[in-house]
Amino acid sequence: IELERSHYSDHEIRKLEEEEQLRRRKESAYDDDEAPGKTVIMAQDLEDKWEQKLLRFQAAPRITDADKNNNRTSLDRRLDSNLMLLVKQKIGNQELWLLPQAEWQPGETLRSTAERAMATFFGDRIQAKILGNAPYGIYKYKFPRAIRTENNVGAKVFFFKAFLQSSDLSQAELKEDYLWVAKDELGDYLKLEYLKKVNRFLLD
Amino acid sequence: RNYFPCRAQPKKKKKVDVKREQAQKDRMKKKIKKLEKAAPEMVPIEDFTTPLKYSDSNRVRSLPPLSFEETERRVLLMKKWCLFKQKQDKAEKKAIQTLVEAQQEALKELRLESEELYQAAIRRDEGLFPFEREGPNYTPPLPGYDPPEGKCVDITKVYTQ
Repeated sequence: IELERSHYSDHEIRKLEEEEQLRRRKESAYDDDEAPGKTVIMAQDLEDKWEQKLLRFQAAPRITDADKNNNRTSLDRRLDSNLMLLVKQKIGNQELWLLPQAEWQPGETLRSTAERAMATFFGDRIQAKILGNAPYGIYKYKFPRAIRTENNVGAKVFFFKAFLQSSDLSQAELKEDYLWVAKDELGDYLKLEYLKKVNRFLLD
Repeated sequence: RNYFPCRAQPKKKKKVDVKREQAQKDRMKKKIKKLEKAAPEMVPIEDFTTPLKYSDSNRVRSLPPLSFEETERRVLLMKKWCLFKQKQDKAEKKAIQTLVEAQQEALKELRLESEELYQAAIRRDEGLFPFEREGPNYTPPLPGYDPPEGKCVDITKVYTQ
């Protein structure tokens, strides 16, 4: 409590006065002039009552069960940091852990591609707010020589950011393996070059 | 009904009456306009004036003076806090800088790919603002918690003209 730059509040003045009265009563051996029914509830009693109520209240723990089990598929895990969704996808002939991506079809904007990617992985009933029309980061890579044609030398992956609105994912059906991962745990799953580019636009 | 012989005089009275009434009306209107012009009174902001009951002398606390060690501890703590905050601020600014750089790079690459997509990406997102998000809580919400009911009475004073 701020003691140095404050004055006494109403409650504290009431408490002090009642203490004074009690002291005076004890010293001058029972003054029955003041009607005994006057101060039925003392300020001290109120404080005790409030203290009891506080002790009875138990807040939910910050470290949940999912933390103890290290269950990386649940959203209840690290409640103090942001979690990112990683999905296992098949690119070429490799199965990789990636941020969910979908190929761009000509005739749609990049943002609608991102929305389509979300719909494929979550089903239609997911609410996520995409922040802005512009991409946040880019990762480009060249295809291995076997697949390269004259026009397609490699691919560019543009990243968008979206906030999940509802944390109720029981309705959504995620088809493949998925993980909710914090920023420092990304290194366990992503490849080095990809990780370097992704880390640039992700804040913890 | 009696029809008295009418003369010029009563007619004059009527005209003068009408004129007088019009003059009276104009004067009243002018007075009303003056009052309305002088009307805007300043509404007193009740947070800027401390109510008198809080400046009583019996409210002042009597605390023992601070010891030397305590003042020293406070000064050193303040210095450490300043340093910590400076580092935190620099880290935040650096993070924002990398964010912006990454986005610029992405937009440059996109432009190299296709101009049309670039134009679509640069456009303003209308649905973004007003942006709402729940603030961070210290503890997660208790499942099945029933908050105690209470009544809230609004006692703000409303000033009308």
